[in-house]
Amino acid sequence: MENAMITMKNINKGYMLGEERLPILKDINFQVNKGEYVAILGPSGSGKTTLMNMIGCMDVMDSGEYYLDGMAIHETKEDDLTMVRNQKIGFIFQNYQLIPTYNVMQNIIMPLLMRGMTHEEAEEKCKNTIKLLGLDHRIGHKPNELSGGQKQRVSIARALVGQPAILLADEPTGALDQTSGKEVLKLFRELNDMGNTIVMITHDLGVAQSAKQIVRIVDGQLQE
Amino acid sequence: MRLSEILRLVWLNLSQNKFKVILTSIGIVVGSATIMLVLAIGTGGKEEVAEQFKNLNAGAIDISCDSSDSGGFSFEMPGGGGSVTVTNMGGGPGGGSGGGMSGGPGGGMDFGGFFGFGQEEESEAVTLTSEDCDDLATFVSGISATTISYSTTASVEGGNMTSASYYTIAGVEDNYAVINNLEMAIGDFLTEENNESKEKVCVLGATVAKEIFGSAYDAYDGIVYIDGRPYIVSGVLSEMGTVASGISPDTAIYVPYETGIKYITGTNISPTITVIAEDVNQVDTVMTDVESALKESYPNTTFTISDAGSKMEAASASNETLTLLLISMAVIVFIVGGIGIMNVLFVSIKERTNEIGILKALGCSRKDILLEFLLEASFTSLVGAVLGVLVALGITPLVQLFNVRVSLSVQGAVLSLLFGVFTGSIFGFYPAYKASRLIPVEALNQE
Repeated sequence: MENAMITMKNINKGYMLGEERLPILKDINFQVNKGEYVAILGPSGSGKTTLMNMIGCMDVMDSGEYYLDGMAIHETKEDDLTMVRNQKIGFIFQNYQLIPTYNVMQNIIMPLLMRGMTHEEAEEKCKNTIKLLGLDHRIGHKPNELSGGQKQRVSIARALVGQPAILLADEPTGALDQTSGKEVLKLFRELNDMGNTIVMITHDLGVAQSAKQIVRIVDGQLQE
Repeated sequence: MRLSEILRLVWLNLSQNKFKVILTSIGIVVGSATIMLVLAIGTGGKEEVAEQFKNLNAGAIDISCDSSDSGGFSFEMPGGGGSVTVTNMGGGPGGGSGGGMSGGPGGGMDFGGFFGFGQEEESEAVTLTSEDCDDLATFVSGISATTISYSTTASVEGGNMTSASYYTIAGVEDNYAVINNLEMAIGDFLTEENNESKEKVCVLGATVAKEIFGSAYDAYDGIVYIDGRPYIVSGVLSEMGTVASGISPDTAIYVPYETGIKYITGTNISPTITVIAEDVNQVDTVMTDVESALKESYPNTTFTISDAGSKMEAASASNETLTLLLISMAVIVFIVGGIGIMNVLFVSIKERTNEIGILKALGCSRKDILLEFLLEASFTSLVGAVLGVLVALGITPLVQLFNVRVSLSVQGAVLSLLFGVFTGSIFGFYPAYKASRLIPVEALNQE
């Protein structure tokens, strides 16, 4: 338990469809330890995105207990969850989710600005990350001037700069061509080797196999 | 997030959407321009009123005989007060002209007309005289000065004029200038000696001097012919501008009271006595006392007694009403502008829901999102308010073309800027609040 980064106990989540409740996640029990690289594999509609939203503190569960890095998320209020998202989680989205009006640098430093840093401090702090991801020559570009692979690297850089407890990736290669996808997965391995805990959600077995551990989700239930 | 960084992001967002910012702020532009012009027109109106009344003394009471009215006891309060028309009916024979306060037997309140079952009697026309003026000064307490004057029109020649023209001729006493706050541009006003000796001297109004002689300097010591008789110009008045009532100083020629009667009008005149109350707060009491004193002398005569203070108050009140009306208009414009900003912000937030979702996913607090959107609304309004002030400055010459007095002020500009920013912030708050309350996962999934 001391080594656990994510611990979920009996998590249930459903949505109202008219007057009927549609269960999405059913009694989820799940644990990820520090330094692990886990892929959650499942087909469309299996509830994997909902599970990612739960792990990322982006949505609230109907019942159950969730501990992230020792913190009881199920008892935490929205204002504190904001801090959790900023300091403990690094999101990597399928469609990158970059702010179109900001350039690469401005997008990357956002999580640091939210921690109260000045933009000068933030830019200084993210220099190494930018170098690691090979974005040195692109920092002044807007997202619409980048390729898909470059956008995803910006997204990864943004997730990494805050040195979060966990990297949470939702279909990180879904919008990329095969070469770019492979580069991203290779990068994930390297980041994991450097000690980062990574949880990746995908419907693609090939992508999932790049992780060190695969957990399947079918109809809202996890299967090891 | 630091305020400086939020401001930086706000600047980044606004600078990349300049056209949108200008379109959004149009309502505020109109509102700010309106409020600045309204204040300028209001101040201009006040100044104009003050200027029109600058030759009036707040404690001045004008008394004239109105022979056209018949019977009854009536109060006439134009513009909210200030004038009393008094007729004393059936009170026996009056003192007659020059009778002074001794009056005649039977003076005072007899109410003969009232008891006469509605029979109306003609008001007896009298000519007020200098003696009446002296009597009022003697018998009515609380009066600091009195003067008597009349006006007529007469043919005037002289100077550079090629043919005769008609001008207003005012027969006045030596203290008229002081009582009416007249200032001399050159020379001296008429003296008591001029009046007693019935000398043919005159003082010209600024416009008259210019029209007859070309300038005040040329007019001084010159000669004008009034009804064919030569008058030496002993002085020229400073330009006074438009005045609210009485003789317009710029377009009048002042002659000694007795001189005018002897050479121009004869005794067929309707003079006005002006008394100055020592204490402005006692004007009503003085008016009542004057009324009583006149009843003693002229029991069958109707007098119109009006005070300058009430005229000033009425004019100021009407100006303030107009200003209030214009301010109401400006407020309505602001509300419409504010609603415009609110609508655009709602659309903007709808467009940027995904961006808000990203910010929330990255850990941006509700407070920071609220502040960012609120500051965007405030800066948009500030841009609008600044443009509004510039528009107001640009429109001012056009407004002045319509003879509207506009008095622009720094305070007016600051106030319209504050109003603009305040309106934008107020109406921008709700959309900003809604943005800050968006649920992260829903906002993020918004396309």
